[in-house]
Amino acid sequence: MSIKKLVTGITAFDHISAGGLPYGRTTLISGSSGCGKTLFGAQFLAMGIQLFDQAGVFVTFEEQVEDIRINLRTLNWDIDRWEKEGKWVFVDASQKDDETLTVGDYDLSGFQVRLECAVTKSNAKRVVLDSIGTVFTQFQAMNAIRHELFKVTRALGRLDTTSIITTERTEEYGKVSRLGVEEFLTDNVIILRNVLSDEKRRRTIEILKFRGSAHEKGENLFTIHPEQAIVIIPLSAMDLKYRSSGVRATSGIAKLDEMCGGGFYRDSIILVSGSIGAGKTLLVANFIDGIREKQERCLLLAFEESREQLFRNATGWGQDFAKLEEDGYLKVVCLYPEVSSLEDHYLNIQEIVKEFKPDRIALDSLSALSRTSTDKAFREFIIALTSFLKHQEITGMFTVTTTLLSGGTSDTEGNISPLTDTIILLRYVEMSGEMQRSLSVLKMRGSKHDSSIRGFTIDDKGINIGEPFIGVSGILTGIPIRS
Amino acid sequence: MENLDLQLYVNGKSHASLAAIDALNAICTERLQGDYRLEVIDIQLDPDRAEAAGILAVPTLIRSWPLPVTRIIGALTVKSRVLAGLGLSNL
Repeated sequence: MSIKKLVTGITAFDHISAGGLPYGRTTLISGSSGCGKTLFGAQFLAMGIQLFDQAGVFVTFEEQVEDIRINLRTLNWDIDRWEKEGKWVFVDASQKDDETLTVGDYDLSGFQVRLECAVTKSNAKRVVLDSIGTVFTQFQAMNAIRHELFKVTRALGRLDTTSIITTERTEEYGKVSRLGVEEFLTDNVIILRNVLSDEKRRRTIEILKFRGSAHEKGENLFTIHPEQAIVIIPLSAMDLKYRSSGVRATSGIAKLDEMCGGGFYRDSIILVSGSIGAGKTLLVANFIDGIREKQERCLLLAFEESREQLFRNATGWGQDFAKLEEDGYLKVVCLYPEVSSLEDHYLNIQEIVKEFKPDRIALDSLSALSRTSTDKAFREFIIALTSFLKHQEITGMFTVTTTLLSGGTSDTEGNISPLTDTIILLRYVEMSGEMQRSLSVLKMRGSKHDSSIRGFTIDDKGINIGEPFIGVSGILTGIPIRS
Repeated sequence: MENLDLQLYVNGKSHASLAAIDALNAICTERLQGDYRLEVIDIQLDPDRAEAAGILAVPTLIRSWPLPVTRIIGALTVKSRVLAGLGLSNL
Protein backbone atom coordinates (compact mmCIF):
# COMPACT_ATOMS: atom_id res chain seq x y z
CA MET A 1 0.00 0.00 0.00
CA SER A 2 1.51 3.24 -1.12
CA ILE A 3 0.93 6.58 0.56
CA LYS A 4 -1.17 9.27 -1.07
CA LYS A 5 0.56 11.48 -3.64
CA LEU A 6 -0.02 14.97 -4.95
CA VAL A 7 0.23 15.20 -8.74
CA THR A 8 2.72 18.00 -9.39
CA GLY A 9 2.04 18.67 -13.07
CA ILE A 10 5.77 18.84 -13.84
CA THR A 11 6.39 16.95 -17.08
CA ALA A 12 7.44 13.37 -16.44
CA PHE A 13 8.11 13.98 -12.76
CA ASP A 14 4.79 12.47 -11.81
CA HIS A 15 5.83 9.47 -13.84
CA ILE A 16 9.21 8.83 -12.22
CA SER A 17 7.79 9.52 -8.77
CA ALA A 18 4.87 7.14 -9.35
CA GLY A 19 2.24 9.81 -8.88
CA GLY A 20 3.89 12.96 -7.55
CA LEU A 21 5.11 14.20 -4.18
CA PRO A 22 4.00 12.53 -0.93
CA TYR A 23 0.77 14.28 -0.01
CA GLY A 24 0.75 16.45 3.09
CA ARG A 25 4.46 15.93 3.61
CA THR A 26 7.67 17.78 3.07
CA THR A 27 10.21 16.76 0.44
CA LEU A 28 13.81 17.92 0.58
CA ILE A 29 15.38 18.91 -2.74
CA SER A 30 19.12 19.09 -2.56
CA GLY A 31 21.58 20.22 -5.20
CA SER A 32 24.67 22.27 -5.91
CA SER A 33 24.33 25.88 -6.96
CA GLY A 34 22.78 26.33 -10.39
CA CYS A 35 21.22 22.86 -10.42
CA GLY A 36 17.69 24.21 -10.82
CA LYS A 37 16.24 23.65 -7.36
CA THR A 38 14.68 27.09 -7.04
CA LEU A 39 13.16 26.62 -10.48
CA PHE A 40 11.81 23.20 -9.52
CA GLY A 41 10.14 24.74 -6.48
CA ALA A 42 8.69 27.61 -8.46
CA GLN A 43 7.47 25.25 -11.15
CA PHE A 44 5.79 23.12 -8.51
CA LEU A 45 3.77 26.17 -7.45
CA ALA A 46 3.15 27.45 -10.98
CA MET A 47 1.83 24.08 -12.18
CA GLY A 48 -0.39 23.90 -9.12
CA ILE A 49 -1.97 27.21 -10.08
CA GLN A 50 -2.10 26.60 -13.84
CA LEU A 51 -3.35 23.03 -13.85
CA PHE A 52 -5.16 22.47 -10.59
CA ASP A 53 -6.06 25.95 -9.32
CA GLN A 54 -4.17 25.27 -6.09
CA ALA A 55 -2.69 28.32 -4.39
CA GLY A 56 0.95 28.29 -3.32
CA VAL A 57 3.28 30.03 -0.87
CA PHE A 58 6.87 30.71 -1.83
CA VAL A 59 9.21 31.40 1.08
CA THR A 60 12.56 32.85 0.13
CA PHE A 61 15.42 32.78 2.62
CA GLU A 62 18.07 33.83 0.20
CA GLU A 63 17.09 35.62 -3.01
CA GLN A 64 15.23 38.90 -3.01
CA VAL A 65 11.56 38.61 -3.93
CA GLU A 66 11.89 41.06 -6.81
CA ASP A 67 14.75 39.06 -8.34
CA ILE A 68 12.65 35.90 -8.23
CA ARG A 69 9.74 37.70 -9.89
CA ILE A 70 12.01 38.84 -12.72
CA ASN A 71 13.36 35.33 -13.25
CA LEU A 72 9.94 33.73 -13.27
CA ARG A 73 8.43 36.24 -15.69
CA THR A 74 10.85 34.97 -18.36
CA LEU A 75 9.02 31.62 -18.27
CA ASN A 76 5.70 33.14 -19.29
CA TRP A 77 4.25 32.55 -15.87
CA ASP A 78 1.92 35.41 -15.03
CA ILE A 79 3.28 35.81 -11.54
CA ASP A 80 1.96 39.36 -11.15
CA ARG A 81 -1.61 38.33 -11.87
CA TRP A 82 -1.32 35.30 -9.59
CA GLU A 83 -0.05 37.50 -6.79
CA LYS A 84 -2.90 39.93 -7.32
CA GLU A 85 -5.42 37.09 -7.22
CA GLY A 86 -3.82 35.76 -4.06
CA LYS A 87 -2.89 32.46 -5.66
CA TRP A 88 0.82 33.01 -5.28
CA VAL A 89 2.08 34.47 -2.00
CA PHE A 90 5.66 35.39 -1.24
CA VAL A 91 7.00 35.24 2.31
CA ASP A 92 10.21 37.23 2.38
CA ALA A 93 12.47 35.58 4.94
CA SER A 94 15.68 36.83 3.40
CA GLN A 95 18.31 38.34 5.63
CA LYS A 96 17.85 42.04 6.36
CA ASP A 97 20.63 44.56 5.87
CA ASP A 98 20.12 45.88 9.40
CA GLU A 99 22.85 45.39 11.92
CA THR A 100 21.86 42.40 14.01
CA LEU A 101 23.13 40.98 17.27
CA THR A 102 21.93 38.13 19.42
CA VAL A 103 21.45 38.37 23.18
CA GLY A 104 19.81 35.37 24.83
CA ASP A 105 17.38 32.67 23.78
CA TYR A 106 15.01 32.91 20.86
CA ASP A 107 12.93 30.71 18.59
CA LEU A 108 11.65 31.02 15.02
CA SER A 109 8.02 31.46 15.98
CA GLY A 110 7.98 34.75 14.07
CA PHE A 111 8.65 32.86 10.90
CA GLN A 112 6.20 30.12 11.76
CA VAL A 113 3.40 32.56 12.46
CA ARG A 114 3.99 34.41 9.19
CA LEU A 115 4.08 31.18 7.21
CA GLU A 116 0.91 29.83 8.79
CA CYS A 117 -0.78 33.17 8.24
CA ALA A 118 0.17 33.16 4.52
CA VAL A 119 -0.99 29.57 4.06
CA THR A 120 -4.30 30.11 5.83
CA LYS A 121 -5.09 33.37 4.06
CA SER A 122 -4.47 31.99 0.57
CA ASN A 123 -5.73 28.50 1.37
CA ALA A 124 -2.48 27.21 -0.10
CA LYS A 125 -2.03 23.56 -0.99
CA ARG A 126 1.63 23.89 -1.95
CA VAL A 127 4.54 25.49 -0.12
CA VAL A 128 8.16 25.99 -1.13
CA LEU A 129 10.96 26.96 1.28
CA ASP A 130 14.02 28.11 -0.66
CA SER A 131 16.64 27.51 0.58
CA ILE A 132 16.98 26.29 4.10
CA GLY A 133 20.78 26.28 4.29
CA THR A 134 20.76 30.05 4.67
CA VAL A 135 18.74 29.82 7.88
CA PHE A 136 21.53 27.87 9.49
CA THR A 137 24.10 30.47 8.55
CA GLN A 138 21.85 33.33 9.61
CA PHE A 139 21.20 31.86 13.06
CA GLN A 140 24.03 30.13 14.82
CA ALA A 141 22.28 27.74 17.18
CA MET A 142 22.22 24.75 14.84
CA ASN A 143 20.36 22.28 17.05
CA ALA A 144 17.76 24.80 18.12
CA ILE A 145 17.16 25.81 14.50
CA ARG A 146 16.82 22.21 13.45
CA HIS A 147 14.19 21.74 16.10
CA GLU A 148 12.43 24.91 14.97
CA LEU A 149 12.39 23.79 11.33
CA PHE A 150 11.06 20.43 12.37
CA LYS A 151 8.18 22.26 14.01
CA VAL A 152 7.64 24.17 10.78
CA THR A 153 7.41 21.00 8.69
CA ARG A 154 4.95 19.54 11.20
CA ALA A 155 2.85 22.67 11.00
CA LEU A 156 2.83 22.46 7.20
CA GLY A 157 1.51 18.92 7.39
CA ARG A 158 -1.15 20.01 9.85
CA LEU A 159 -2.22 22.74 7.43
CA ASP A 160 -2.77 20.06 4.77
CA THR A 161 -0.07 21.37 2.45
CA THR A 162 2.45 19.46 0.39
CA SER A 163 5.78 21.20 0.58
CA ILE A 164 9.29 21.36 -0.82
CA ILE A 165 12.36 22.48 1.08
CA THR A 166 15.47 23.14 -0.97
CA THR A 167 19.01 22.97 0.30
CA GLU A 168 22.53 23.26 -1.09
CA ARG A 169 25.17 20.63 -1.40
CA THR A 170 28.79 21.23 -2.28
CA GLU A 171 29.58 18.05 -4.21
CA GLU A 172 27.54 16.32 -6.89
CA TYR A 173 28.22 12.92 -5.36
CA GLY A 174 28.61 12.94 -1.60
CA LYS A 175 26.70 14.17 1.40
CA VAL A 176 23.05 14.90 0.73
CA SER A 177 23.32 18.43 2.04
CA ARG A 178 26.06 20.84 2.97
CA LEU A 179 25.46 20.84 6.71
CA GLY A 180 24.34 17.24 6.92
CA VAL A 181 21.33 18.06 9.09
CA GLU A 182 18.65 19.09 6.65
CA GLU A 183 17.86 15.57 5.49
CA PHE A 184 16.67 14.65 8.96
CA LEU A 185 13.80 17.07 8.54
CA THR A 186 11.97 14.83 6.15
CA ASP A 187 11.58 11.29 4.93
CA ASN A 188 11.61 12.31 1.29
CA VAL A 189 14.74 13.39 -0.53
CA ILE A 190 15.28 14.35 -4.16
CA ILE A 191 18.68 15.23 -5.58
CA LEU A 192 19.26 17.46 -8.60
CA ARG A 193 22.64 17.27 -10.28
CA ASN A 194 24.47 19.34 -12.82
CA VAL A 195 27.48 17.21 -13.64
CA LEU A 196 30.32 17.99 -15.97
CA SER A 197 31.39 14.76 -17.61
CA ASP A 198 33.49 14.45 -20.75
CA GLU A 199 33.29 18.23 -21.16
CA LYS A 200 29.51 18.13 -21.32
CA ARG A 201 26.88 19.26 -18.84
CA ARG A 202 24.35 16.72 -17.78
CA ARG A 203 21.42 17.61 -15.60
CA THR A 204 19.84 14.78 -13.70
CA ILE A 205 17.19 14.27 -11.06
CA GLU A 206 17.23 11.38 -8.62
CA ILE A 207 14.61 10.42 -6.08
CA LEU A 208 16.80 9.22 -3.24
CA LYS A 209 14.01 8.17 -0.92
CA PHE A 210 10.25 8.43 -0.58
CA ARG A 211 9.37 6.68 2.60
CA GLY A 212 6.59 4.18 2.19
CA SER A 213 6.19 4.73 -1.52
CA ALA A 214 7.36 3.38 -4.84
CA HIS A 215 9.40 5.52 -7.23
CA GLU A 216 11.97 5.16 -10.00
CA LYS A 217 15.52 4.52 -8.83
CA GLY A 218 18.57 6.21 -10.24
CA GLU A 219 19.22 9.38 -12.18
CA ASN A 220 16.90 10.70 -14.86
CA LEU A 221 18.03 13.29 -17.36
CA PHE A 222 16.31 16.62 -17.49
CA THR A 223 16.71 19.83 -19.35
CA ILE A 224 15.68 23.39 -18.64
CA HIS A 225 13.43 24.46 -21.46
CA PRO A 226 13.02 28.21 -22.03
CA GLU A 227 9.22 27.94 -21.91
CA GLN A 228 8.40 24.70 -20.15
CA ALA A 229 11.05 25.10 -17.42
CA ILE A 230 12.20 21.71 -16.13
CA VAL A 231 11.44 18.83 -18.47
CA ILE A 232 12.47 15.41 -17.29
CA ILE A 233 13.25 12.78 -19.86
CA PRO A 234 12.05 9.55 -18.35
CA LEU A 235 14.13 6.83 -19.79
CA SER A 236 14.29 3.85 -17.51
CA ALA A 237 10.77 4.79 -16.54
CA MET A 238 9.41 4.31 -20.01
CA ASP A 239 7.27 1.28 -20.40
CA LEU A 240 7.63 -1.08 -23.31
CA LYS A 241 3.91 -1.44 -23.72
CA TYR A 242 3.52 -0.17 -27.26
CA ARG A 243 1.48 -2.17 -29.65
CA SER A 244 3.21 -4.20 -32.31
CA SER A 245 1.90 -3.69 -35.75
CA GLY A 246 1.79 -6.29 -38.51
CA VAL A 247 1.38 -3.61 -41.14
CA ARG A 248 4.31 -3.33 -43.52
CA ALA A 249 5.86 -0.15 -44.89
CA THR A 250 7.82 -0.21 -48.09
CA SER A 251 11.51 0.66 -48.12
CA GLY A 252 11.01 2.23 -51.52
CA ILE A 253 13.11 -0.54 -53.08
CA ALA A 254 11.14 -3.56 -54.27
CA LYS A 255 14.06 -5.94 -53.94
CA LEU A 256 14.84 -4.81 -50.38
CA ASP A 257 11.20 -5.26 -49.39
CA GLU A 258 11.48 -8.78 -50.72
CA MET A 259 14.62 -9.39 -48.68
CA CYS A 260 12.79 -8.18 -45.56
CA GLY A 261 9.90 -10.56 -46.11
CA GLY A 262 7.56 -7.91 -47.50
CA GLY A 263 8.87 -4.60 -46.21
CA PHE A 264 9.62 -3.01 -42.85
CA TYR A 265 7.08 -3.16 -40.05
CA ARG A 266 5.26 0.12 -39.68
CA ASP A 267 6.25 0.79 -36.07
CA SER A 268 9.81 -0.46 -36.35
CA ILE A 269 13.18 1.22 -36.19
CA ILE A 270 15.62 0.44 -38.99
CA LEU A 271 19.31 0.98 -38.54
CA VAL A 272 21.41 1.42 -41.69
CA SER A 273 25.11 0.99 -41.09
CA GLY A 274 27.84 1.70 -43.57
CA SER A 275 31.03 3.63 -44.21
CA ILE A 276 31.14 6.98 -45.96
CA GLY A 277 29.75 6.71 -49.48
CA ALA A 278 28.42 3.19 -48.98
CA GLY A 279 24.90 4.26 -49.94
CA LYS A 280 23.24 5.12 -46.64
CA THR A 281 21.80 8.40 -47.82
CA LEU A 282 20.56 6.64 -50.94
CA LEU A 283 18.67 4.15 -48.81
CA VAL A 284 17.23 7.08 -46.88
CA ALA A 285 16.17 8.73 -50.12
CA ASN A 286 14.37 5.58 -51.21
CA PHE A 287 12.77 5.30 -47.80
CA ILE A 288 11.45 8.83 -48.25
CA ASP A 289 10.31 8.03 -51.75
CA GLY A 290 8.37 5.09 -50.30
CA ILE A 291 5.76 7.50 -48.93
CA ARG A 292 4.29 7.88 -52.43
CA GLU A 293 2.76 4.44 -52.29
CA LYS A 294 0.27 5.27 -49.53
CA GLN A 295 0.36 9.08 -49.59
CA GLU A 296 2.26 9.17 -46.30
CA ARG A 297 4.31 11.96 -44.78
CA CYS A 298 7.98 11.81 -43.95
CA LEU A 299 10.21 13.92 -41.73
CA LEU A 300 13.90 14.03 -42.59
CA LEU A 301 16.25 15.13 -39.82
CA ALA A 302 19.60 15.84 -41.39
CA PHE A 303 22.57 16.37 -39.11
CA GLU A 304 25.29 16.06 -41.72
CA GLU A 305 24.25 17.56 -45.01
CA SER A 306 22.60 20.81 -45.97
CA ARG A 307 19.21 20.98 -47.63
CA GLU A 308 20.82 21.91 -50.97
CA GLN A 309 23.17 18.93 -50.90
CA LEU A 310 20.36 16.57 -50.01
CA PHE A 311 18.08 17.83 -52.76
CA ARG A 312 20.87 17.71 -55.33
CA ASN A 313 21.77 14.14 -54.41
CA ALA A 314 18.15 13.08 -54.64
CA THR A 315 17.84 14.66 -58.06
CA GLY A 316 20.86 12.62 -59.12
CA TRP A 317 18.87 9.49 -58.29
CA GLY A 318 15.79 10.71 -60.09
CA GLN A 319 13.84 11.92 -57.06
CA ASP A 320 12.28 15.33 -56.58
CA PHE A 321 12.42 16.24 -52.87
CA ALA A 322 11.59 19.88 -53.50
CA LYS A 323 8.26 18.89 -55.07
CA LEU A 324 7.50 16.47 -52.22
CA GLU A 325 8.15 19.18 -49.69
CA GLU A 326 6.09 21.69 -51.62
CA ASP A 327 3.16 19.28 -51.65
CA GLY A 328 3.45 18.83 -47.89
CA TYR A 329 4.51 15.19 -47.92
CA LEU A 330 8.05 15.85 -46.83
CA LYS A 331 9.60 18.08 -44.22
CA VAL A 332 13.35 18.49 -44.14
CA VAL A 333 15.00 19.82 -41.00
CA CYS A 334 18.74 20.41 -41.20
CA LEU A 335 20.55 21.04 -37.95
CA TYR A 336 24.09 21.06 -36.69
CA PRO A 337 24.30 18.45 -33.96
CA GLU A 338 26.33 20.85 -31.85
CA VAL A 339 23.65 23.55 -31.63
CA SER A 340 22.09 21.99 -28.57
CA SER A 341 22.34 19.14 -26.13
CA LEU A 342 20.77 15.76 -26.87
CA GLU A 343 17.99 16.40 -24.39
CA ASP A 344 17.10 19.57 -26.25
CA HIS A 345 17.34 17.81 -29.60
CA TYR A 346 14.93 15.21 -28.25
CA LEU A 347 12.41 17.83 -27.16
CA ASN A 348 12.81 19.65 -30.44
CA ILE A 349 12.18 16.46 -32.43
CA GLN A 350 9.14 15.71 -30.29
CA GLU A 351 7.71 19.14 -31.02
CA ILE A 352 8.29 18.85 -34.77
CA VAL A 353 6.69 15.39 -34.82
CA LYS A 354 3.65 16.55 -32.90
CA GLU A 355 3.22 19.41 -35.33
CA PHE A 356 3.96 17.67 -38.64
CA LYS A 357 2.55 14.23 -37.72
CA PRO A 358 4.76 12.19 -40.06
CA ASP A 359 4.30 8.48 -40.79
CA ARG A 360 8.03 8.09 -41.27
CA ILE A 361 11.15 9.64 -39.91
CA ALA A 362 14.61 9.42 -41.37
CA LEU A 363 17.56 10.55 -39.26
CA ASP A 364 20.89 11.02 -41.01
CA SER A 365 23.09 10.35 -39.14
CA LEU A 366 23.10 9.15 -35.58
CA SER A 367 26.89 9.14 -35.62
CA ALA A 368 26.91 12.90 -36.07
CA LEU A 369 24.56 13.27 -33.10
CA SER A 370 26.56 10.94 -30.91
CA ARG A 371 29.53 13.28 -31.11
CA THR A 372 27.76 15.77 -28.89
CA SER A 373 27.31 13.65 -25.79
CA THR A 374 28.54 10.90 -23.55
CA ASP A 375 27.83 7.27 -24.40
CA LYS A 376 25.34 6.91 -21.58
CA ALA A 377 23.41 10.03 -22.48
CA PHE A 378 23.38 9.01 -26.12
CA ARG A 379 21.99 5.60 -25.32
CA GLU A 380 19.30 7.18 -23.20
CA PHE A 381 18.47 9.58 -26.00
CA ILE A 382 18.01 6.66 -28.41
CA ILE A 383 15.82 4.79 -25.94
CA ALA A 384 13.64 7.85 -25.46
CA LEU A 385 13.44 8.58 -29.18
CA THR A 386 12.67 5.02 -30.29
CA SER A 387 10.08 4.63 -27.58
CA PHE A 388 8.46 7.91 -28.56
CA LEU A 389 8.37 6.95 -32.25
CA LYS A 390 6.87 3.55 -31.50
CA HIS A 391 4.15 5.14 -29.41
CA GLN A 392 3.31 7.34 -32.37
CA GLU A 393 3.48 4.34 -34.70
CA ILE A 394 6.10 5.98 -36.85
CA THR A 395 8.59 4.03 -38.95
CA GLY A 396 12.08 5.28 -38.26
CA MET A 397 15.24 4.90 -40.29
CA PHE A 398 18.51 5.88 -38.60
CA THR A 399 21.90 5.79 -40.24
CA VAL A 400 25.26 5.20 -38.58
CA THR A 401 28.69 5.63 -40.10
CA THR A 402 31.40 3.03 -39.69
CA THR A 403 34.96 4.20 -39.53
CA LEU A 404 36.48 1.54 -41.78
CA LEU A 405 35.73 1.40 -45.48
CA SER A 406 35.22 -2.32 -45.51
CA GLY A 407 34.25 -4.53 -42.62
CA GLY A 408 34.11 -3.18 -39.08
CA THR A 409 31.35 -1.74 -36.96
CA SER A 410 30.88 1.63 -35.35
CA ASP A 411 30.75 2.44 -31.65
CA THR A 412 27.37 4.00 -32.16
CA GLU A 413 26.06 0.83 -33.65
CA GLY A 414 27.24 -1.44 -30.84
CA ASN A 415 25.53 0.85 -28.40
CA ILE A 416 22.14 1.01 -29.99
CA SER A 417 21.67 -2.07 -32.16
CA PRO A 418 19.75 -3.93 -29.43
CA LEU A 419 17.19 -1.14 -29.53
CA THR A 420 16.48 -1.38 -33.21
CA ASP A 421 14.23 -3.86 -34.98
CA THR A 422 15.97 -4.12 -38.32
CA ILE A 423 19.62 -3.70 -39.16
CA ILE A 424 20.87 -3.27 -42.71
CA LEU A 425 24.59 -3.45 -43.35
CA LEU A 426 26.15 -1.68 -46.32
CA ARG A 427 29.77 -2.70 -46.84
CA TYR A 428 32.47 -2.35 -49.45
CA VAL A 429 34.01 -5.60 -50.57
CA GLU A 430 37.32 -5.74 -52.35
CA MET A 431 36.94 -8.38 -55.00
CA SER A 432 38.59 -9.15 -58.31
CA GLY A 433 40.59 -5.94 -58.05
CA GLU A 434 37.66 -3.59 -57.54
CA MET A 435 35.52 -2.23 -54.73
CA GLN A 436 32.10 -3.77 -54.89
CA ARG A 437 29.17 -2.77 -52.73
CA SER A 438 27.31 -5.24 -50.60
CA LEU A 439 24.02 -5.12 -48.74
CA SER A 440 22.65 -7.52 -46.18
CA VAL A 441 19.73 -7.62 -43.78
CA LEU A 442 21.38 -8.59 -40.51
CA LYS A 443 18.32 -8.64 -38.35
CA MET A 444 14.61 -8.35 -38.91
CA ARG A 445 12.69 -8.67 -35.70
CA GLY A 446 9.51 -10.68 -35.94
CA SER A 447 9.81 -11.71 -39.56
CA LYS A 448 11.63 -14.05 -41.90
CA HIS A 449 14.21 -12.35 -44.01
CA ASP A 450 16.78 -13.08 -46.68
CA SER A 451 20.08 -13.62 -44.90
CA SER A 452 22.27 -13.55 -47.99
CA ILE A 453 24.81 -10.86 -48.69
CA ARG A 454 24.04 -9.26 -52.01
CA GLY A 455 25.98 -7.03 -54.29
CA PHE A 456 24.45 -3.77 -55.49
CA THR A 457 25.20 -0.95 -57.88
CA ILE A 458 24.12 2.67 -58.00
CA ASP A 459 23.24 4.48 -61.19
CA ASP A 460 21.21 7.53 -62.19
CA LYS A 461 17.96 5.71 -61.44
CA GLY A 462 19.06 4.74 -57.99
CA ILE A 463 19.93 1.42 -56.47
CA ASN A 464 20.04 -1.99 -58.17
CA ILE A 465 20.28 -4.91 -55.79
CA GLY A 466 21.85 -7.90 -57.46
CA GLU A 467 22.51 -11.53 -56.67
CA PRO A 468 24.00 -12.99 -53.50
CA PHE A 469 27.75 -13.42 -53.43
CA ILE A 470 28.01 -17.14 -53.85
CA GLY A 471 31.10 -19.01 -52.93
CA VAL A 472 32.64 -16.09 -51.11
CA SER A 473 33.04 -15.78 -47.36
CA GLY A 474 34.52 -13.22 -45.02
CA ILE A 475 32.79 -10.26 -46.71
CA LEU A 476 31.84 -8.55 -43.48
CA THR A 477 35.36 -8.77 -42.14
CA GLY A 478 36.51 -6.93 -45.23
CA ILE A 479 38.76 -9.83 -46.27
CA PRO A 480 36.72 -12.03 -48.63
CA ILE A 481 37.94 -15.51 -49.39
CA ARG A 482 36.78 -17.52 -52.37
CA SER A 483 35.94 -20.99 -51.20
CA MET B 1 20.04 62.21 24.00
CA GLU B 2 17.82 61.64 20.98
CA ASN B 3 14.44 60.02 21.28
CA LEU B 4 14.68 56.28 20.80
CA ASP B 5 12.08 54.49 18.68
CA LEU B 6 11.81 50.88 19.78
CA GLN B 7 9.61 47.99 18.65
CA LEU B 8 9.69 44.70 20.48
CA TYR B 9 8.14 41.72 18.68
CA VAL B 10 7.02 38.99 21.06
CA ASN B 11 5.10 35.75 20.87
CA GLY B 12 2.26 35.77 23.40
CA LYS B 13 3.45 34.87 26.83
CA SER B 14 6.39 32.68 25.88
CA HIS B 15 9.21 32.55 28.38
CA ALA B 16 11.72 34.37 26.23
CA SER B 17 9.15 37.03 25.30
CA LEU B 18 8.28 37.81 28.92
CA ALA B 19 11.95 37.91 29.85
CA ALA B 20 12.64 40.34 27.00
CA ILE B 21 9.77 42.64 28.02
CA ASP B 22 11.00 42.72 31.62
CA ALA B 23 14.62 43.32 30.69
CA LEU B 24 13.72 46.11 28.27
CA ASN B 25 11.38 47.82 30.73
CA ALA B 26 14.13 47.80 33.34
CA ILE B 27 16.63 49.38 30.96
CA CYS B 28 14.16 52.04 29.83
CA THR B 29 13.20 53.10 33.37
CA GLU B 30 16.77 53.11 34.54
CA ARG B 31 18.44 54.81 31.58
CA LEU B 32 15.98 56.72 29.44
CA GLN B 33 13.78 58.74 31.80
CA GLY B 34 10.83 58.75 29.46
CA ASP B 35 12.91 59.81 26.48
CA TYR B 36 11.76 56.98 24.23
CA ARG B 37 8.84 55.34 22.47
CA LEU B 38 8.37 51.62 22.94
CA GLU B 39 5.82 49.46 21.19
CA VAL B 40 5.34 45.82 22.06
CA ILE B 41 3.85 43.81 19.20
CA ASP B 42 2.43 40.35 19.71
CA ILE B 43 2.96 38.44 16.45
CA GLN B 44 0.06 36.11 17.23
CA LEU B 45 -2.35 39.05 17.31
CA ASP B 46 -0.69 41.08 14.58
CA PRO B 47 1.00 38.75 12.07
CA ASP B 48 0.86 41.43 9.36
CA ARG B 49 3.20 43.63 11.34
CA ALA B 50 5.59 40.71 11.69
CA GLU B 51 5.36 40.16 7.93
CA ALA B 52 6.03 43.81 7.15
CA ALA B 53 9.05 43.91 9.45
CA GLY B 54 10.37 40.56 8.16
CA ILE B 55 10.51 39.00 11.63
CA LEU B 56 11.83 35.44 11.80
CA ALA B 57 13.23 35.05 15.30
CA VAL B 58 11.25 35.99 18.39
CA PRO B 59 11.78 38.01 20.49
CA THR B 60 13.24 40.67 18.20
CA LEU B 61 13.90 44.22 19.34
CA ILE B 62 14.20 46.80 16.56
CA ARG B 63 15.66 50.22 17.17
CA SER B 64 14.25 52.15 14.23
CA TRP B 65 15.58 55.51 15.44
CA PRO B 66 18.26 56.76 15.53
CA LEU B 67 19.67 55.28 12.36
CA PRO B 68 21.11 52.88 11.45
CA VAL B 69 18.28 50.48 12.17
CA THR B 70 19.50 47.87 14.59
CA ARG B 71 18.00 44.49 15.51
CA ILE B 72 18.60 42.60 18.73
CA ILE B 73 17.41 39.00 18.74
CA GLY B 74 16.82 37.03 21.93
CA ALA B 75 15.55 37.35 25.49
CA LEU B 76 17.83 40.34 26.16
CA THR B 77 19.38 38.54 29.11
CA VAL B 78 22.77 40.31 29.13
CA LYS B 79 22.17 43.94 30.01
CA SER B 80 25.56 45.30 28.97
CA ARG B 81 25.23 43.84 25.51
CA VAL B 82 21.70 45.19 25.07
CA LEU B 83 22.92 48.65 26.09
CA ALA B 84 25.76 48.39 23.60
CA GLY B 85 23.34 47.28 20.90
CA LEU B 86 21.07 50.26 21.58
CA GLY B 87 24.03 52.60 21.62
CA LEU B 88 23.52 53.48 25.31
CA SER B 89 26.68 52.01 26.86
CA ASN B 90 28.51 55.35 27.23
CA LEU B 91 25.72 57.13 29.06
